[in-house]
Order: sequence, then C-alpha cells, then structure tokens
Amino acid sequence: MTLDQILSARPSPGQPRTYAFPNFERTVLTSGLQVITVDLPNRPLVSANLLIRRGVSDEPADLAGATILTARAMTEGTRRYPGVELLEAGERLGATLHVDASWDAFTASVEVAATRLGAALELLAELVEQPTFPESDVARLRDERLNDLLQVKADPRRRVDQAFNATIYTTDSPYGRSAGGDEDSVPRLTTDVLRGIHRSVLDPRHAAIVIGGDLTGLNVPRLVEAALGSFGGENPKHEPATVAPRAESAVDHPIVRFYHRPGSVQTELRIGHVGLSRLTPDFHPVQVMAAILGGLFNSRLQMNLREEKGYTYGIGAGFDMRRGAGPFSVRTAVQTAATVPSISESLLELRRIRETPVTAVELAAARDYLVGVFPLRFETPGAVVGALGGIFVLDLPDDELARYRDEVEAVTVEAIQKAAQDHIHLDRLAIVAVGDADAVGAELAAAGFGDLEIIADEVLAGGGAAEVAEAADEVTE
Amino acid sequence: MEDPDRMTALSVRFTDERLANGLRLIVSEDHLAPVVAVCIWYNVGSKHEVEGKTGFAHLFEHVMFQGSGHVAKAEHMALVQAAGGTMNGTTWLDRTNYFETVPSHQLELALWLEADRMATLLDALNQENLDNQRAVVKNEKRSSYDNRPYGDWFHKLQEHVFPPDHPYHHPTIGSMEDLDAASLEDVAEFFRTYYAPNNAVLAIVGDVDPAQARAWVERYFGEIPANRTIPALGDMTLPPLIGTEAREIVEDRVPLPRHFFGFRAPMMGDPRLDALDVAAQILAGGKGSRLYRRLVRDEKIAQDVSFFVLGLIGGASIAAGQATVRPGVDPAVVERAFEEELELICREPVTADELARARALIETFELEALQRVDERADRLAMYATLLDDPDMINRQMGRYLGVTAADIQAAAAEVLRPENRVVLTYMPAGEAATGTTDEETAA
Repeated sequence: MTLDQILSARPSPGQPRTYAFPNFERTVLTSGLQVITVDLPNRPLVSANLLIRRGVSDEPADLAGATILTARAMTEGTRRYPGVELLEAGERLGATLHVDASWDAFTASVEVAATRLGAALELLAELVEQPTFPESDVARLRDERLNDLLQVKADPRRRVDQAFNATIYTTDSPYGRSAGGDEDSVPRLTTDVLRGIHRSVLDPRHAAIVIGGDLTGLNVPRLVEAALGSFGGENPKHEPATVAPRAESAVDHPIVRFYHRPGSVQTELRIGHVGLSRLTPDFHPVQVMAAILGGLFNSRLQMNLREEKGYTYGIGAGFDMRRGAGPFSVRTAVQTAATVPSISESLLELRRIRETPVTAVELAAARDYLVGVFPLRFETPGAVVGALGGIFVLDLPDDELARYRDEVEAVTVEAIQKAAQDHIHLDRLAIVAVGDADAVGAELAAAGFGDLEIIADEVLAGGGAAEVAEAADEVTE
Repeated sequence: MEDPDRMTALSVRFTDERLANGLRLIVSEDHLAPVVAVCIWYNVGSKHEVEGKTGFAHLFEHVMFQGSGHVAKAEHMALVQAAGGTMNGTTWLDRTNYFETVPSHQLELALWLEADRMATLLDALNQENLDNQRAVVKNEKRSSYDNRPYGDWFHKLQEHVFPPDHPYHHPTIGSMEDLDAASLEDVAEFFRTYYAPNNAVLAIVGDVDPAQARAWVERYFGEIPANRTIPALGDMTLPPLIGTEAREIVEDRVPLPRHFFGFRAPMMGDPRLDALDVAAQILAGGKGSRLYRRLVRDEKIAQDVSFFVLGLIGGASIAAGQATVRPGVDPAVVERAFEEELELICREPVTADELARARALIETFELEALQRVDERADRLAMYATLLDDPDMINRQMGRYLGVTAADIQAAAAEVLRPENRVVLTYMPAGEAATGTTDEETAA
C-alpha cells in the first residue's frame, strides 16, 4: 500500500475499557465532622481537603474580603508554631499546606506521601484550629490586597471581570463584589473581624474532610479523629450557610459599559448576565449547550470569531455555577479594530443558539467530548478529591458523579434549545469592555447594541476609586 | 542516612527505538487509568529562525491545526474532542511539540492524526488558512504580551542575556512585521526542512499494548520519508557570563514598579543547573523562603517575589527572578535587598534545614507531576529531543536530591554575579525619571 492509501483509511476506535468514578466511603465522627475517603491504589501521593460550608458569599457586604483574608492570615502563625514555622514543618514532610476560600466554602488542604498523612493532618488541624492572627501580619496582608487592587486596574483582563460582575448584579448580591474585598471594605478587616470569621468556620456539623490516594493499611477515620477530633469543640454553632445568596440582575435592558484604556491594542470583552446556580435541575443540558456555544475548541464562537474571522486568539462562553446564580458570560479579547464586529458576531451566536436547534452532529460532538473526557479529568487523587469536595459543599447527591455520563448521554437537541431559551437572555445583556474608546467609541455608539456609557481611564487619571465612580456617574446622566 | 519514610522514587519503564526512517519511538505502559498520552516533539524551535522570519516556528505550529491531506481545517480538534480527548501544541526556543491525551481505545486515531500532518500537511495548505492563523497569532501576541502589564519582560531579558547574533536573542512570538511577511512558500519550505520523521520523537504513555502501538506507528509513520539534509544549526556556544551588568528602565502602564532580574546560566543537563533549581526553591519557594521572608514578610518592601530557572540547550539557560515594589518604597531599596540575598547564597552555604525542606518539596512536586501520563510523555520526549537521554526522567529526582549545600554555593557564586546580571525595572509611566536616579551609579 502507498502512504496515501494507508492514510486514506480513518481508524475506528477500539473497545472502550469500562470506567466508573471511584467509590468513596463516608464516616461521621462524633463531632459531626464527615470523613470521606476514596482509595486509589498505586497513587502514593494523598490529597486531603478539609471543607467547611461557609464561604465568601456568607460575609456581610461591609466586610467584603474578610473570608479570603482570614484564610490567608491563617498561615501567618499558630499557637504552637509562630510565624511561618508551621509551613516549614509541613515542608519537612514534603507537604505544602493551603488555606483558601471560595464563594461557597472555606478549605484547608494538603498533598503528602501516604506514609506521612498522620503527621500532615496534625499540622492541618493546628493550622485550622489555632491561628493567632498577628496584628502586624494582618496589616501587611491588608496592604497587599490594596496593592493588588491597584494592579487589577492596570490589567485589562482582571479589570473587565471586576467591572462585569459589578455591572450585572444588584449591590445587595455578594457576586457583584470582588471576592477579596475592595478599597472601602479592606481597611475595615481588623484582627477582630478575622477572629469572628474564623470562629464561624469552626463548625464540624458543616464540615467534611475528603481524603484520596493509596490508603492501603491506613485507618483514615482514626487518623482524622486523632488530629481533628476536637475540631470546633468549644465554639458556638452557627446556622448552616446553605441558603443561596441574593443574585438579582441589575440590568433590565441591553447596556454597554466601555472602560477607556488609551492605546490598548485589544479590547477585553465580556458579554452576559446573571446565570445559573449549580443546583439547576437542567444542569446537564446546560453543560452540553454551553460546550457547543463556547466550550469546545471548535465551539460556534471559536469557529466564527477565531477560525473564520481571525478577530481573536480565543473566545469562550459558559456558566460559572455556584450555590447561587453565578454569571453567564462570553469572554474574549479582540483586536481593537474588530471590537464592534466581534460584539455583533457574538450576539448573533447567542441569538442563533436560542432560535435554531443545534445539529445532530454538533450534539454528538459535544456529548461525546463530555462523556469521553470524564476519565481523563479524574486521573489523579487531587482531581477526585476536588470533585467530591464539590459534591459535599453543594449537598449534591452521592451518585452525582457516577451518573454524570449517563445524564449527558441522554441530552437531546430539544433539551439544548430549551436550555438556551430558558437561560440566555438577549433582552438584558451587559456588554462590558476595556479598550481604547478613542478608537472605537463612535463606531460603538452607531452600532446601537444598548445604552452606552464610556468610563474615563483610571490608571492615567491617577485617581482613587471615588473619583472613578464619579466619572462613571457623569457619563450615565 | 536515608529517611525510611522516603517515598520510593517512581520508576518509569519505557522502550526506546527508531524506525527505519529515523523516527524515535518511546513507549511506556501504565494501565492505572484508561487513558493514553501521545506526544510528538520536533527538533525545531524559534532558535532555527533567521533574521526577518521571527515568529515563524510558532506560526507554523498553528498551521499544523489547519488540516492535512485527509483531515479538514479544524477537524483535528473536532476528532480528538469527539473521541473524548484533549490536545494542543506549543513552541519554544528549542523545540515544537504536539500532544493528545485520549481514552485508551482511541490511541490509533491520535497516531493517525499526527502521521497525516507529518506526511501530508502541504496538501491542505492554502493562503486563506495561513492568513487566518496569521491574524490569530497576531492576536495571541497582543493578548499575551502587548496588552498585558509588564508583558514583554521575558523578551527584554532575552535581548540582554543573549547577544544580537544569537538565536535566543529574539522572542518566540516574533515581530508583527515578520509575521506579516510570512509567505506560503516559507511555510512549505519550513515543513519540508524540519517536519521529517528523523527530526521527531514520538512518546506514547499510558494504557497501551506496546506491540499494538508499535504496529500502528510502523503502519502510519513508517512510510514517511526522512529528510537527510536537515541543516545543522550554527554554533550557539556562549561565554559563561554576560560580561557586564545590563540595566534597562521600561515605562509601562503599571501602578507598581517591578524589577526583573536575569542571569546567563549553565545549560540543561548540567548539574549546576540542578543546583540552581534547588537554590531557587530556597530563595523564593513559598513563605518560608529567603526572599519572601525578608522582602515581603519582614521588611514589607515588596508585594511579591519569585526566582526560577528556565533550562535551554543552546549555549546557556536563563535564571530569572522578580520583585514587585510596594507603593511608597524606593525601587532601589528593593533591588538592593534582592541582590543582597543573592550575594548571601553565593557567600555562605544554605542551612541543613533549608536544604532538607527544599529536597522534600521538590520530591513531592516531581511525584505530583509524574502522576499524569501526559506529563510523563512530555518529559520522555523532552529528554530524548534535548538531551538524547529519555532515562533522565528516572534520574532527575536523584540529581535534585543529591545536590549539596556546597553545590548550591558554588553554582550560585558562578552565576549570580553582578557582571552576569540583567536588571529590568518597570516604572509607572511618568515616574521613571524620579524613581531611578541610581541608574548611572549602579555597578
């Protein structure tokens, strides 16, 4: 056979190996702390994540940033280990200890050799239960956050995300705020505030530790009991933070907010609105729909704006899901001259996925990708533990991951169109951009995408947040 | 002496052979997960570009996804994703790589796709696709470098660490002018020259039957002709030191000044580079590290710090670091503190505890990375392509763990010297004149 004949015949797939999401076990300690273990033979590095259902969205508006600052400050010293001594003790085990907070949960995690799991859990417990919140270190972390906010203004990518969220949510929703806090709230985050947040986190009734890896010969619940048996013991219990935060739309008709950044060679664009909770009953059709629209490498948006028009290096769209309704957005950066056509084409794709059914070929491509890539996603203990943590935090059913592939297989063309019509709202889109308004302002005004506001440059203006807000108001009126 | 608790070093067993046409094939079996990684490294990178054609290796990498003799434009991605796989390609100074990770029953598809573009790329090449990807790459340059604060720091380090006639002097992304000038004939010539089986390493790692994999590779790649006249690169040898300190002030739309430091360092595979890797961990790896502790925690003069090594094989590597200056702090103070910490690691051995912590962390990082089949495939192909030594995947950990305090001190003293140093200082636009009065006086 010639090379051409050989290559002309496309190979067909072999027999797939059976795959099931790993089984996990759950034990509840007397304190109420759940221990979720997943044995993954021949995976010598073990991942352990302690999760508490108390996240950024539970903090009061005037203390925005308190939860993340608390998490960061916890590695600044504990009763037995002042300063960074605890982190150093972890390093001697080859372990890096992390504390972090998301919208829905507070997490402390470590990855360590199975043989050193017990010692690592002791350190994790000390870190979570005994932080001292030294005044000077907390002050430094506050300053670091304020400095980081300066950097956000200068970085068009971070700036547009912040502006988009602030645009689409009403001010009483935590999702419109920056998770790390802003110029107004951060100075209020005293050590007392952090201690208050910390106390509310120490609640075993709303906590679980997920541990995965090769657990051969380890009695994990006993190791956890030894390290974390008294977790939260002396603290007043708070009510579970399992109520979704407010997530109302501040936008009721199409609007355009353009942040002027002179000389920008690209426009950073976000187009969207308040989206969906992870608990939406049509989660799987929504996932397939979003993959076709803007998730796959060959999504409609990518094929149109990148592979046909060359306006961008990449464009995506999707729903950022949490306990409450996170944002839906189209996200891209386009060359300045292509700003208006890029918005037009994006709107066209949003309209098209609502109005016309996807083809059977598109459905198959997205479905087969999501089903087929599932085992690849869970190759390592860290990934399995992370997914199980998500199940705990949002109270999803235990078989959520085991069912995933069957649910995706069952998605139909009709279900996709219904998901698009139910959850993509052209009548309240916010188009938020950071770019050179001098170059595109007139064309943008003429395009009539919605009420247009152009907001003055913040970095070169040298002003603080207050001046910027005033500038924004002026344009509005 | 050995810690009884020490994890058994992960051993990657593999076979290493060459087809008659010169394609180097490395296969490593691991049935833990039902996935397999395919990774192909071509021994061509931006160092092969000549003046007036910068950015070409990377633009070409994009063209490799635009279809081939039996695959339509963008179909490569469509087929891999519909198979439940992931894929991409990357270009760097020394090489270009392409990779797919797929469910193991889809291995043949990935091999066929790679073979089809190695054999028949030019059958699908046309002006429209080239122009489209040229526009995409120019947007990649805008988005990754030009429109990003501090975005061109690495390009500026390259300019100073490597002399103008050296192939590492110019950035992999290239210049807008050169990208505009790239023609169809340039693409065809580049393909014919470098995209030959004898200029490639193919690594297959994961849930694979080696005999079956070998048969498929033989079938799809075996008939692709070699190019026996691949031009040799010129001599890239460099003196070990830059010679004089290079300094540059860059005005940018940034709120905080930031220093970037660069040094010419020994090549990848040199034990001194391993020692510098361990030094980097001690200097800036985590909150207990020297630079973080002093500049960020104790003196509160920097917002963040980093230090790292980028291994290269063409004459020298780069060791680099950075520190972002806190508002109200004189950038010169931050620079001085950073340099004092580098001087200290040259002057005195690191402590036994620092070394023990660095080793333990590096061991975990290495094990964590090698858990994944795609990372193993990438490293096997990398070590085969760049060092002609795929077994380095099994020896690299031992090399790190064998680094002593004396090794670190010696390597640091050779490399982290003022006359081998580049200091770039990014200043908020309009403030450069006041913030950098020490420029002329610095040694």
